[in-house]
Parts: sequence; structure tokens; C-alpha cells
Amino acid sequence: MLRRFRLEEPESVAEVSELLGRFGDSAKIYAGGTELLLAMKEGLIHYERLINVKQLKDLGAVTEDNGSIKIGALCTHRQLETSTLLQEKLPSLVKLEQNVANVRVRQAGSIGGNLCFAEPHADPGTLLMALGAKMIAEKNSGKREIEAQDFFVDAYETSLQADELLTEIRVPKPGGNSRSAYLKFGYLERPSVGVAVALTLDGTTVNDVRIAVGCAGPAPKRVAEAEAILTGKGKDEAVALLQQAGAVAGRASEAISDLHGAQDYKEHIVGVLLKRAFNSIVG
Amino acid sequence: MQFEKQIEIAAPREKVWKFIWDIDRFISCVPGCKDAKTVEEGKRYSATMVERVGPFKVEFPTTIEVLEREELTHIKAQASGADNKIGSRMKIDLDVNLREEGNKTVVSFIAGVDILGKLAALGHGIIKRKADQVLDEFAHAVKTTLEGDK
Repeated sequence: MLRRFRLEEPESVAEVSELLGRFGDSAKIYAGGTELLLAMKEGLIHYERLINVKQLKDLGAVTEDNGSIKIGALCTHRQLETSTLLQEKLPSLVKLEQNVANVRVRQAGSIGGNLCFAEPHADPGTLLMALGAKMIAEKNSGKREIEAQDFFVDAYETSLQADELLTEIRVPKPGGNSRSAYLKFGYLERPSVGVAVALTLDGTTVNDVRIAVGCAGPAPKRVAEAEAILTGKGKDEAVALLQQAGAVAGRASEAISDLHGAQDYKEHIVGVLLKRAFNSIVG
Repeated sequence: MQFEKQIEIAAPREKVWKFIWDIDRFISCVPGCKDAKTVEEGKRYSATMVERVGPFKVEFPTTIEVLEREELTHIKAQASGADNKIGSRMKIDLDVNLREEGNKTVVSFIAGVDILGKLAALGHGIIKRKADQVLDEFAHAVKTTLEGDK
């Protein structure tokens, strides 16, 4: 059962930041609540105050400027899977969002909440890392950009400061030759392993390869060593090197043995998914 | 969950043994452990263990009972506690062995850690990783403390 708490309803980001700074560990931001309320109902965590951010303006839209797609942190998964702008520019993110949990979670859960709760078995962080996204963190004294790969610190931990609010996710607009894919595998409610690949295909040469692995370990992780194996190679050569890149990515995933699978099993699945994801976009 | 660690300390065995029984110094090396008290010298102690994984915080008032003690070589102890706020219990069976190797003392310990209750919802993997981190920090702190005050 949910224990009593006080609900704060700030009207600006500055006010949210001030409340976070004032109440510290005893307060938490409440957006979609799909992760937070579950943990609170289970009695695993309790906060004296929840800071409801749902009514904040300008944080719930997907827009574009010259260089990037801007996703407001309050956008729900459902909004992202049905966004025509994302369907056109970032189909891999749309496909990922279509497969997040179930429609009830997608309808209520926000992308910002998903990223900030940093549940190890969440999908979006992994793909956003491969897409080179930046997280925009704001507080009352200003805003800063955090590279997606620096955002996740550990299981349930991000690099956000105590009084910061994630307001936006900025994804560089993919060029004409850019391709990306995210694949996951699991047999429980949440995935055991997720792998994202993004690259540019210049003729038959594979460039700017970015590989990220999630769900297997405590937090999503970019694997530069695996990227280096494939970058600059011809299509056929890269395909021949996928086994090697997959083994490197598997070892780097910091896979943990748990109910979702043993460490060596997850490492193997990383390799399988990398191969499939790469082949699906390079052909 | 079973953990095995070995710490090589550049200090004589007598010094390491004495340190283990100096409850205040010893407890200062256990991450998240506070309010250590001697209930019965050499037999029973109490302390509070506070650990957190992201927003999840547990506070276990813990009783440590020494089950076996063989001068300078071996200790068997059991620590158990419960966090009633989140409905979870923990039990640690600890087996510590000391041996001399040249000028060094090798402390090896086997810890059987059981976490029961709602906390287990975090997942075995995450809890195991956390426990591993705590034991590594503990091993490092013991080594640094004993080697530092030569």
C-alpha cells in the first residue's frame, strides 16, 4: 500500500530545482510514475514529497531544429511511437518505443522518467547512446548538456545533480547515409539483453560505427573497442568481423548472472544481437 | 550468495588479529556500518548497516555473534539483521582465516550472504554486485589502515 506523501505542484523548472535542493533525499520527481509508484507501493522506497512535473509547459513535445531532433522529457513512450517526425527521422527509436513494456505503461510512462530512474533493464538509454544523444539537465542556475554515454553511472544512478531536472533529449539529425537499429531479447517481462548499432554507409564502407549494450549489466554502455573493429571497413569485411566485435561487446557489457540469464549466456546473446542488428541495416 | 576474498597485508599476524578485535577500528573499515557496540566482549556485538543502490536504501540493525575463535588463526561469526520499514532481512555467515606468509599476513574470508524479503525484488545480480563492491571496499580499507600505521 502507498504510504502518505505530500504532492508538490511547481510551475517552472526553477521551482522544481529549488524544491529538489531544499528537500534533498526526502523528495523525488514524479512524472509518469510507472517505475516510481510501483517501487513505492511495494514499500521499497518512500518519499515524504513527490514533485509532480506533469503540468510543466514545453517539456512534452518532439520538435526539430537545424541539427537535431528535440524530445521533451515529459513525452510519453506512446507519443514517441506515434510521432510522425520520429517515424520519418528516427525509425529505430519508434520501433524501440513500440516494444517498450505494454501499451498501459507506454501511455503513462515518460521518456525522461525512464532515463532518470535508470532501471538496468530499460531500452531507450542504449539506443540513445548509439545515436549520440545529449541529455539536457536544468536547474535554477542554468542548464548543461550531458552525453548519453556519461548519463548512466550505475544501476538506478545517473550523473544528474541532486537539484537538476532532465528537460530534453537532443538527438543529432541523422544524415542520408545514416542507419541505426536496436534489438533486444528476453523471456521475462523485461529484456535480458539489448544491443544498439548506428553507423553511416559511405558507398560500401562502414563509418562512424557506434555500438551500445544494455540490460545485460548494471547500466547501458558504449563499446568503443567493438566500434573500432568495424569502423572504416568495407561491408563484407565488416560482416566477417562481426563475430569478433560481438565477443568484445559481450565481454564489455559487464553482464551479471541473474534470473534473466547467466553471464556467459548474456555475453553470447550480445554477439548474436549485434550481428543481427548490423546485418539488418547494412544488408 | 557466496563470496571469497583474500587480503594480503604487510603487517605481522598479531597486529592483524588485534585489529580485528578492536571493534571501533574494525567497524570503521566496513562501508555503511555505524553505531558499533560491544554487547559481550569477544562474543557478541551490535551495529547498524546502511546500504543503498540508487534510490533504494536499507538500514539493518545488526547483531554479530562470534561462533568460533581460534587464537591468531580463525574466526567464525554470524551477522543478522532486519529492516522492518521495507520488510527485508539479511544474514551473513563469515569464516575468516589468518596465515603468515613471510613478512605478510594473508587474511582469507568466505562470506555467505542471504538477503530475504522485498529487497530481493531489486534482483539477485544487482544485490550480488553491491555486496561484492562492499567487500572490496572493506578489503581495501583494512589493508590501507593496517599498512598505514606502521
